Amino acid sequence: MVKDLFNIIVKEVKELVRDPTLILGMIIVPLILFPLMGFAMQTSMKTAEESMRNISIAVIDLDKGSVAENLTNFLITLNVRIVEVDDSNLTEAVNYVQQSNLTGLIVIPSDFSNNITEGSKAELDVYTVFRGGGIAESTSSSAISALLETFEERLVFQKIGEKFPEDPETVLDPIKTSEKSIIKGKSVDVNPGVLFGLMMSQSIGMPIGIMMLLMFAMQLAATSVASEKEEKTLETLLTLPINRFTILAGKLTGSIIVAVMGAIAYIVGFNYYMSSFMGVIPAETGVDLAAIGFAPTPISYLLLGISLFVSLISALALAVSISIFAEDVKGAQALVGPLSMLLIFPMIFMMFTDIYALPFPLMIVLFAIPFTHPMLASKVAFTGDYLTAVIGIVYVSIFTIAVLYIAARLFGTEKILTAKLKFKWLRRRRRMPAEEP
Amino acid sequence: MNLAIEAESVVKIFGSIHALDGLSFYVKPREIFGLIGPNGAGKTTALRIVSTLLKPTSGSVKVLGRDVVNQASEIRGLISYLPEEAGAYKNLSGYEYLEFMAKFTIEDKQLIRETVEAAAKISGLEERLKDKVKTYSKGMKRRLLVARALMTKPKLAVLDEPTSGLDVLHSVHVRGIIKQYVEKEGVTVLLSSHNMLEVEHLCDKVALINKGKMVAEGSPAELKKEANASNLEEVFAKVVGFG
Ligand SMILES: Nc1ncnc2c1ncn2[C@@H]1O[C@H](COP(=O)(O)OP(=O)(O)OP(=O)(O)O)[C@@H](O)[C@H]1O
Ligand SMILES: [Mg+2]
Repeated sequence: MVKDLFNIIVKEVKELVRDPTLILGMIIVPLILFPLMGFAMQTSMKTAEESMRNISIAVIDLDKGSVAENLTNFLITLNVRIVEVDDSNLTEAVNYVQQSNLTGLIVIPSDFSNNITEGSKAELDVYTVFRGGGIAESTSSSAISALLETFEERLVFQKIGEKFPEDPETVLDPIKTSEKSIIKGKSVDVNPGVLFGLMMSQSIGMPIGIMMLLMFAMQLAATSVASEKEEKTLETLLTLPINRFTILAGKLTGSIIVAVMGAIAYIVGFNYYMSSFMGVIPAETGVDLAAIGFAPTPISYLLLGISLFVSLISALALAVSISIFAEDVKGAQALVGPLSMLLIFPMIFMMFTDIYALPFPLMIVLFAIPFTHPMLASKVAFTGDYLTAVIGIVYVSIFTIAVLYIAARLFGTEKILTAKLKFKWLRRRRRMPAEEP
Repeated sequence: MNLAIEAESVVKIFGSIHALDGLSFYVKPREIFGLIGPNGAGKTTALRIVSTLLKPTSGSVKVLGRDVVNQASEIRGLISYLPEEAGAYKNLSGYEYLEFMAKFTIEDKQLIRETVEAAAKISGLEERLKDKVKTYSKGMKRRLLVARALMTKPKLAVLDEPTSGLDVLHSVHVRGIIKQYVEKEGVTVLLSSHNMLEVEHLCDKVALINKGKMVAEGSPAELKKEANASNLEEVFAKVVGFG
């Protein structure tokens, strides 16, 4: 029995690892695509920075007063290129700004300086050229308003300085707060915002990694069952003197081994990707996470490990039971595809919200999805909420046993040979475009 | 004498199709028993029931004295089954495939090696056994699978169209091997075929089935005599006809 299991596992791993398409997915995506994505991210952020530096703004000065002059001079000292535009025709000016690649246009109305010196509200019209949705565009569009705000602050400072010449700064900002955090009943000299950022940067990767691992494993298990049908090896396998459960266990184990190999490749690639644009946060803050009880303890590691393991088995068992009904690998992957919603759904909530703050029905739905639990367990390190992790493990284990039981039953009957879900609608849809010409 | 196979009024229904409709046949040990009949007659269904892959809807089948429903796993240890349409794991080499299969029935390492060597001879694939299965032609794959089915010297070999897709020389070779395993190793063979020449030369006993029912049974000579025909093809045409 153990020998047979080992024999099957070896064969499964050999078959999977030697499959060229699989190797492509395991190596190309994580080790080439992720770094490429990181590179693209860095490049676009650099261009964004550069475009911040080379801001050129057209100015229509209808005021010609002293404050208006101050404003343009202020912009020039901040390295902004100012283009004076003819004041007669706004439509032409707008067209000119678009044509000559300027960032935007500021129109200074005729009563601008007057209003400011008399203490009433002055107005400015600011036009920013909308060119597209990239990061570089969004930063340059906010650049003009940021510049104007700085100028506004200067004006305020000047006015206050006139009335309180001794210490205008204190008048402007009379209270100095120093923010500290309380963690697990102890006060720590760190801003909670910084801690939150740290926690995010550490825990955002986990749900993504877990989702990828499970998805990958599910695809593998489905492929390994369906390819027995597609390659017509299943009939022979089922007449061998091996327990059906051993076949199933061999397939699950083989898929786990390959999935873990894939997961490691993914984590390496993903780490590189993350570090290429946000890896610097923990180093700069200089906070020792372990010292303030904010790093994973051995228990939380153990709980996360167990939780991951039972979820992995449940995902595989689910994929196998479903792919029993498929006739070939394509069919199996089409059947397993919708299951990935069960992974993406909790991942998104896990990444962007606090699950306990959600409306009750939604919370129940999320807790019912087994794959929510390993993601929850990945946060236990920060919350110290071991009980939730343990309950999750128990729940997922029960779920897994139920699914495994169903999978074994299906594997034991002749259904595995005679159940044939043909994807007629799928094939027809795929063929349609080819038939048109 | 104990029978190798006792199939007693077997019925197999798929949805509304009666694939087998009260079929009975008996196979003696060391016999080569052939099932012949037109497409869709139920040959493959019968072989799959004998190999414990399908359960009969009604009727009973005993293989080597064991019931196919209640003692399926015992039967699996004694037989080997060559499916009509079968493949091998395409990313394994021929050798790896044979070794993988041998390990399930044989414990001893030396014996496994000998078995694989025997299979290499049966298949006639020689050096190509080192290549991956996905590089094989259809006939080469078939030879690998025939070798797999016979190499472990099972008590009963169930072969569904063993020589389909093989060229003349290799068909002759495989038939010789089947005969040899029956005579020397005491294997019993239940096979199906569309090649009447093959059946006539190879089988001790033939069952002609049509629409899930037995329509004629006997040795090739008996069948020819009964139908007053000069060869099995004529017998087939006379008994089954068209329509
Ligand atoms: N899994 C299945 N589901 C539904 N019907 C089936 C199934 N397997 C076989 N049948 C039907 O049972 C009947 C007998 O099929 P079987 O494969 O046993 O014929 P056969 O004698 O082997 O034919 P051939 O010479 O073409 O191989 C056919 O009508 C076939 O359509
Ligand atoms: Mg057939």
